[in-house]
Amino acid sequence: MTVKPAGYQAVTLSEERTGDFETKLMRINVGPQHPSTHGVLRLVVDLDGERIARISPVIGYLHTGFEKTMEHRTYQQVVTYSNRMDYVHSFGHDLAYVLSAEQLMAARVPERAQRIRVILTELNRIASHLVFFGTGILDMGALTLFFYTMREREQLLDIFESVTGVRMNFGYFRVGGLYQDVPESFEHDVRAFIRSFPKMLDQYSALFAKNDIFVNRTTGVGVIPAERALEDGLTGPSLRASGVPLDFRKAQPYSGYEDYDFDVPVSTAGDAHARFEVRFQEMRESLKIVEQALDRLEPGPVRDPDRRISLPPRSELETSMEAVIFHFKLVTEGFHPPRGSAYVATESARGELGYYLVSDGGSMPYRVKVRVPSLVNLQSLESACVGGLFADMVVNIATMDPVMGDVDK
Amino acid sequence: MGLKDLFEKDVQELERDGILFSTLGKLVAWGRSNSLWPATFGLACCAIEMMQSTNARNDMARLGSEVFRASPRQADVMIVAGRCSKKMAPVMRRVYEQMPDPKWVISMGACASSGGMFNNYAIVQNVDSVVPVDVFVPGCPPRPESLIYAVLQLQKKVRGEVFDQDGVELPMVEGWTR
Amino acid sequence: MTTEGAAAPLGPLSERVVEALGALGGRLEREPFEVRVVLPARVIVDAVRTARAAGFDLLSDVFAIDWLRYPGHQGPRFSVDYNLYSIEHGERLFLRVDVDEDEPVPSITGAWKAATFLEREVYDMFGLRFSGHPDLRKIHTPEDLEGHPLRKDFPLGETPTLFNDGRFLDPAAFRAGMIGASGGLTGWVGGARKGVVAEQVDPAPAAPRPGATRGDEGER
Ligand code: SF4
Repeated sequence: MTVKPAGYQAVTLSEERTGDFETKLMRINVGPQHPSTHGVLRLVVDLDGERIARISPVIGYLHTGFEKTMEHRTYQQVVTYSNRMDYVHSFGHDLAYVLSAEQLMAARVPERAQRIRVILTELNRIASHLVFFGTGILDMGALTLFFYTMREREQLLDIFESVTGVRMNFGYFRVGGLYQDVPESFEHDVRAFIRSFPKMLDQYSALFAKNDIFVNRTTGVGVIPAERALEDGLTGPSLRASGVPLDFRKAQPYSGYEDYDFDVPVSTAGDAHARFEVRFQEMRESLKIVEQALDRLEPGPVRDPDRRISLPPRSELETSMEAVIFHFKLVTEGFHPPRGSAYVATESARGELGYYLVSDGGSMPYRVKVRVPSLVNLQSLESACVGGLFADMVVNIATMDPVMGDVDK
Repeated sequence: MGLKDLFEKDVQELERDGILFSTLGKLVAWGRSNSLWPATFGLACCAIEMMQSTNARNDMARLGSEVFRASPRQADVMIVAGRCSKKMAPVMRRVYEQMPDPKWVISMGACASSGGMFNNYAIVQNVDSVVPVDVFVPGCPPRPESLIYAVLQLQKKVRGEVFDQDGVELPMVEGWTR
Repeated sequence: MTTEGAAAPLGPLSERVVEALGALGGRLEREPFEVRVVLPARVIVDAVRTARAAGFDLLSDVFAIDWLRYPGHQGPRFSVDYNLYSIEHGERLFLRVDVDEDEPVPSITGAWKAATFLEREVYDMFGLRFSGHPDLRKIHTPEDLEGHPLRKDFPLGETPTLFNDGRFLDPAAFRAGMIGASGGLTGWVGGARKGVVAEQVDPAPAAPRPGATRGDEGER
């Protein structure tokens, strides 16, 4: 009688094992409608007893045809679509798109617009991590934290609503700046949030970080060593949890991130606990960035004054024929970037995010390719899960933090 | 009050004493309308707002609809929250068919109701062509308040308090069959 | 063009790699914002291995572009692009392979596992085959969808909008007015719209029948 060794060797698996008895793999289907898969992810899992022998994600249940649709919209209209891709970190997608388009157009974005973009993107990163925590710990069976994080998220959504008019899917950034300036209450609201949020973070860490059940459930689960992570193309907080300090806000600063003083939390453990921990620290760092940006927020214009890109102000339309012409052209056909391509890598809450735009000189992008982090990150699910327990798979999915809109495009 | 009072007093008197009369069907519908358990069918962005509608501020629990059931066999109402791709449509139909009768569907958001901004090859343009929808909720995404209003409308429908365009009262959902 | 003449800087690591790739038959193209090496399809696996060994340690992306409608484009219809990044040096390098429709591209999954999903995506969206890929299946689209959505000759598949009062809006014709392919109501056909080969969209029909579908292809 052979006893299964403690350290599970995935490589030795076969449908029939030599030895005293034969075992067969059991195939289990999880999803696409399943509470712990964060949307419509479907997994086909081969189980050897309690342990996972093979896991293959089946995706595409939320395939929306974003790239094709964007190719049929003008550059300014694409902003409406980009944020719907990753609906948890919408501003991140908006930012990535406008940066690429601005690179094509050689637009000069005013400093105030840059700062507001950074503030909103970082606040949205916090909101995204809050969803991650709430649902991630919900998957482990702890319901309470979900209500706590959603409470803080409501506070953030109130700020976003006062600025953009909607609670989600903002479409507030424009190529060349912002749609309009922030309201007067903005600074006060954000400062109030900065004051109150650290206390909430302490509350969370009291609730779960020292909680025995949580620690035991995550420590040593789903370990991804750094080489494996790079082989799988993992990016974002999950990569940093494996010990690779890649953060595009530091590595290739965009939108003025080089001005701010912040740290990139890194852990070397590479397990699920480290992935929670890194994101938890990241919220504090984001808060630091928001505070610095708010301190340096000066009054000024929020749109590129270039008439090729931005609509002329309303008041001019009554007096200037030229303004009317520019207005008409921008509204009816949009602007025409020169031929060429552009790619700006940004750091979304999930990893490297960039829009590869190809322009043919027309008013619609010839090709939009979105480098979405969640799709690529999903490949490391195999590295994390194979050889582990089936019950740990849920923890691994949660800590990979995939957003299905981001996976399926 | 003794049992014999029920037979001796007339209805008005009894109502003053706090005894109400109804048909069993109405009673069932009333009970049912106040515990509509949704199946989790979050698809896209709208699902996040659906989550938010159960939080402390919006608190769908007031209406008895906070228990999102992961298993369709325990649910009464399916909230289709988000864009439904053509790949997902058969799955959705199957989940719907797994729900016990009577069952209702709320189509949440512009995408589920009309395809929204995604008028393309990948998205079902109206989930009504896949499952019969009772309430459409506009918005992109609808605010939690809108979803709560939709649940209220659905409760009315269950209780038989709704009218069609011509002002004709729609029948109440029957007690045992649909 | 404001960016004309400018070219993206070539970092020390890229310089070394570009030289090594030159030995494989690679040709350097410097665009305003990106450094790109165009390679023959058969050497792509070696090229990726070389770049990886030299220090490009993150495979960001693999994607394809369909050049069918690109004005003035010559050469094979598709190109497959590989987006590499070096974490230590902070440099980005694009590799490109030009291929025709039924020409298989060697799969780089053997050299880099991260390409598994990405190559499947290219296969699904463009119908390009990758020889040697362990698991080349559709990834995003449903099994019964015929064709490859991101090809330029695949229609967007819009469903025309029919209003209650019988009014009728055809998205393709509506858009045609905007891009200058059709005169629309005013007869104005857009400004100096370079670049676009007119899409074959006829102007809106004089008296649309209610219920008629005349989108790109109706519902697919
Ligand atoms: S209606 Fe809007 S919010 Fe809802 S799924 Fe569609 S795009 Fe997302």
